[in-house]
Amino acid sequence: MVSHLPKPATLRDWLLYLATIAGCIMLVLRGAERLGYSWHWRQIPRYLGSLSDGVFVAGPLLKGLVVTLEITGYSLVLAASIGLVTALLRLSSSSIGRVLARMYLEIIRNTPLLVQIFFLYFVMAPILDIGRTATAVLALSLFEGAYASEIFRAGITSIDRGQWEACYSLGLTQLQSYRKVILPQALRRVVPPMTSQAVSLIKDSALVSTIAVYDVTMEGRTIIAETFFSFEIWFVVAAIYLVLTLTLSTLASFLERHLFRTHA
Amino acid sequence: MRQQQSMTSSGVSIIHAAHLMKTFGALLALDDCSITVERGEVLVVIGPSGSGKSTLLRCLNGLEEIDSGRIVIDGIELNHRESNRLRIRREVGMVFQSFNLFPHLTVLENVNLAQKLVRGRSTGEATKQARLLLDKVGVGEKLDQYPQQLSGGQQQRVAIARALAMQPKVMLFDEATSALDPEMIGEVLDVMRSLAREGMTMVVVTHEMGFAREVGDRIVFMESGRIIEQAASTEFFENPASERTRQFLRQIL
Repeated sequence: MVSHLPKPATLRDWLLYLATIAGCIMLVLRGAERLGYSWHWRQIPRYLGSLSDGVFVAGPLLKGLVVTLEITGYSLVLAASIGLVTALLRLSSSSIGRVLARMYLEIIRNTPLLVQIFFLYFVMAPILDIGRTATAVLALSLFEGAYASEIFRAGITSIDRGQWEACYSLGLTQLQSYRKVILPQALRRVVPPMTSQAVSLIKDSALVSTIAVYDVTMEGRTIIAETFFSFEIWFVVAAIYLVLTLTLSTLASFLERHLFRTHA
Repeated sequence: MRQQQSMTSSGVSIIHAAHLMKTFGALLALDDCSITVERGEVLVVIGPSGSGKSTLLRCLNGLEEIDSGRIVIDGIELNHRESNRLRIRREVGMVFQSFNLFPHLTVLENVNLAQKLVRGRSTGEATKQARLLLDKVGVGEKLDQYPQQLSGGQQQRVAIARALAMQPKVMLFDEATSALDPEMIGEVLDVMRSLAREGMTMVVVTHEMGFAREVGDRIVFMESGRIIEQAASTEFFENPASERTRQFLRQIL
């Protein structure tokens, strides 16, 4: 019989695990050696930050992290708002609203994000007279908002029809029903998929380095251009994203378990 | 006698529904149905499954839209005007087969929500009213619990209290006991019985024939979307006019 429950790890599992990790490290080290790459790990910490006269001074990577956090933070809020409005439009009785929402969704989902960023940066930004960072936030929000709207829509339609009928039979308007009954239940259900969408947003934000926004990725590229420490820097940049996304996932599962204790 | 009254003096009836037609795709759900309900009257709608009983009830507060016909409740016509629809719903309470309590709200919040939003009551006023009604239906000690912590019968009684808190002029019961375990049916029927005794105007769709006979002032028998027979309760059960009614009653009694 095949058991669907995870078995506790045995000693053999642990040995296999360690061997795999060791193998990966070996592969990188051997490869670097073959390429004649010389490691400079000791040079790396100062790109994160350094102490000068006992005062901590942020290095370029940390400054880039702040920019990444800023951009993803604003984009997250904006994307969620765009997503919710789009979902409500798609579910509305207004045919114009539905068509508009559908058009937005299809355009965004069927063109590459990089092209959207370039389009906004080279076409819309000059017309609207907005800066690079604002363009980056706008591009990411529009992109992730389309996906968020599908998540919201699924969450809203997953609520039993009886909930609507109970609201209507009590004389609530559609808006009141959404606010007090439907959305509070739907939002709890969309926390898990929204978290993975937020993780995507953090990762996709690396693309804004292409329009010279100095996020972590851009700072990394700049350092490499100056120092050729490409192996070390890309390891560090990847680790920074990993820390960000894992923190977010942990936070979300904590939220899910404690704040939004569902009674449904 | 009561029946004759409703035929002749439709001006004082609180529900006046005439020539209702409703289709779901190819299915004719309501075929020229007309009913009137007097103030304080209990009208019980019975009939086999799929006969259109629930549809008729759901049309009365606009949960389903009729294709043609006319519905006037307490002098307000149910039409495409949103404001009329809302006014009617404010005066017409409804209890569902599946309770439809709000799972993210406590019992008290369930009963208070519409009082505050629709009737504009303060939390204090709403809570006072809620306590009164929840006590009355026998779940007064469950105020802070969530719906799924209650039994089916308790949930349905909370749902009744929630509807009553709006102080409706009419209550619609859509197979209110059909989803309940047998031992809980009685407690819900008791609540409905006492409501009827207090003079609440009720339209009840049910399969509980004993209850229909005991509490119903008038019975409407439906089949295939049509009203086959409507008569005063005793007359309906003791001396049904149509052969189809007699056949139905033989099957279920």
